[in-house]
Amino acid sequence: MIKVFDPTIRALNQDLSLREQNQNVIAGNIANADTPGYKAKAVSFEHAMREALDMQDGVKLETDDPEQFGSKGPEDVQADVYDDPNGVESLDGNTVDRAAEMAKMKENQILYNASVESLRKKLGMLEYGITEGGGNK
Amino acid sequence: MADFFSSMRVSATGLDAQMKRMNTVSSNIANAETPGYKRKDAEFTATPDRESFGDILNNKMDESVQGVVVSDVHEDERPPKLVYKPDDPRANAEGYVEMPNVNPVEEMADMISAQRSYEANVTAIGAATQMANKALELGR
Repeated sequence: MIKVFDPTIRALNQDLSLREQNQNVIAGNIANADTPGYKAKAVSFEHAMREALDMQDGVKLETDDPEQFGSKGPEDVQADVYDDPNGVESLDGNTVDRAAEMAKMKENQILYNASVESLRKKLGMLEYGITEGGGNK
Repeated sequence: MADFFSSMRVSATGLDAQMKRMNTVSSNIANAETPGYKRKDAEFTATPDRESFGDILNNKMDESVQGVVVSDVHEDERPPKLVYKPDDPRANAEGYVEMPNVNPVEEMADMISAQRSYEANVTAIGAATQMANKALELGR
């Protein structure tokens, strides 16, 4: 099967939706910064994404069967949401560190913007090719 | 469905809860000298973010994203301050009046905490808005 979108575009696309999910989780943590007994949640997907991209480059597996191993592309990467083990429990049992959540949110926001920018460039190049270098750009 | 509106809804529950907490603090400070008043405390509980019945049905959006609600406003059970005022009509047989168990310093600290949490939620909404707008640039 020929794919119009290369792995980079698909990885960026998935990255946007995972960062969106990360933003939701962080917003939940901030909203519950004063809730007794609430445990801070953390999201991780960077490692899985890197593995998915390495698979694309290193191991070439030609198959049409999506059930077969090696068919896992960057678009299949799922976020792992878990209780943050680094959280320090306060007297009311809450483990949210407000400053850390704000920092994580900003980092996530910057990386999201970077991904949007990269995706914009990639799509622009695709459009450039489709319109044979001209087009109404 | 996970989207930025989910993030905004969750932050909005945070704003609402902090506002209610601020109200109880105001009430406590206003009544710091009212005989018989008991200090009120807002109780926060995490609640799953679910917009509609459909969300509940497919339960796709798991329990990982939670908003917050003020589930109860309960009275502080600490004993009242007894002030000796034998000429006050509310004084008991020994001449003591039950003044509120409100500690103004505690209320001030609580107020600052509520204010900071409120601001953090506003910042979170701002971040979600900025990211959603950035994504719209893809269509330009």
